[in-house]
Amino acid sequence: MGTLRLERTEADEVVRELAGHLEECYEALRAQGVSEEAAFSRAGAEAGNWAELRRGVILVKEGRMSDRVKQIWIPSLVTLSGWAVLGVVIWSPLMWESWNAARRGVILFPPLVILYWPWLLSLIFIGAAGAYLSRRAKATGWRVYLSGAFPVLTVGVVFAVTFPFAFVVDAQVAPFFKITSMLANVVSWIVLPGIALWLGVVVEGMLRQKRVAD
Amino acid sequence: MIRTELKRGTAELAVLSVLEEGPLHGYEIGRRIAEQSDGALRYTLAALYPLLYRMEQRGWLRGEWETGPSGKRRRCYRLLARGRKMLKPMREEWVDLFRALRRVAKVTHA
Repeated sequence: MGTLRLERTEADEVVRELAGHLEECYEALRAQGVSEEAAFSRAGAEAGNWAELRRGVILVKEGRMSDRVKQIWIPSLVTLSGWAVLGVVIWSPLMWESWNAARRGVILFPPLVILYWPWLLSLIFIGAAGAYLSRRAKATGWRVYLSGAFPVLTVGVVFAVTFPFAFVVDAQVAPFFKITSMLANVVSWIVLPGIALWLGVVVEGMLRQKRVAD
Repeated sequence: MIRTELKRGTAELAVLSVLEEGPLHGYEIGRRIAEQSDGALRYTLAALYPLLYRMEQRGWLRGEWETGPSGKRRRCYRLLARGRKMLKPMREEWVDLFRALRRVAKVTHA
């Protein structure tokens, strides 16, 4: 078999398993009355092409890593990039206006609500894109949903890291208001977007099934 | 004598079908398939083990080391729920295939 390009323990296990198979084959032939030499030769022939066996094992074991990349990481990167680009396209003109107004000493309350809902609905397409890429790489179940909803998981991590600081800074603000604000942020930037992304994943799945049925 | 290319296409269904009866280790899987097919389907290690590992990665099987009655440790494969669910559509696929072949190539099957 040569050297398997695997972790040492994994390679040892594969070799042990294959050796066990050949050993059983040899013992079965000997039990049938086949001579030692003939049994040894026939058991060895059971392996088929050794180079092909080695290639096949490595391809499958190494493929596990590339499967994760194709099924989870690339689709997740696409959904996260889509989320970021969409955010910049929709929110940045508004933020730019607010910032310019602030420089002039004018406090501008941007109509976030007007832009929030179109942004939220367009997340359905982002989630569907991630699900499409993940399923195209033959992913199923939680991998597809993870890829589709990856942006909100990222935001969740950021919130989990930064929110505790809110209790340290701005000591004048009552905890009740801080908690309410945090909950509002969680609902606005994690829960509802998460639902929109997952809706995209579900819709993509339904369209895929319909295509297969047709 | 069945060509290797044709046998390759049958291997997944053959493995899932013998494991439907209960967990087996690699040698027993090959032996059962050969026995139940009257020797028509024989898989070398090069055909069988990459397939078993691939099906394990898909979550269709789980392989675990067990000590047999003889005291030897063997890796036993057990059919999981996801693998069991694949049996019906795979069998239907083969029925459809034979039906189509019967029409086109005048092939009949037992």
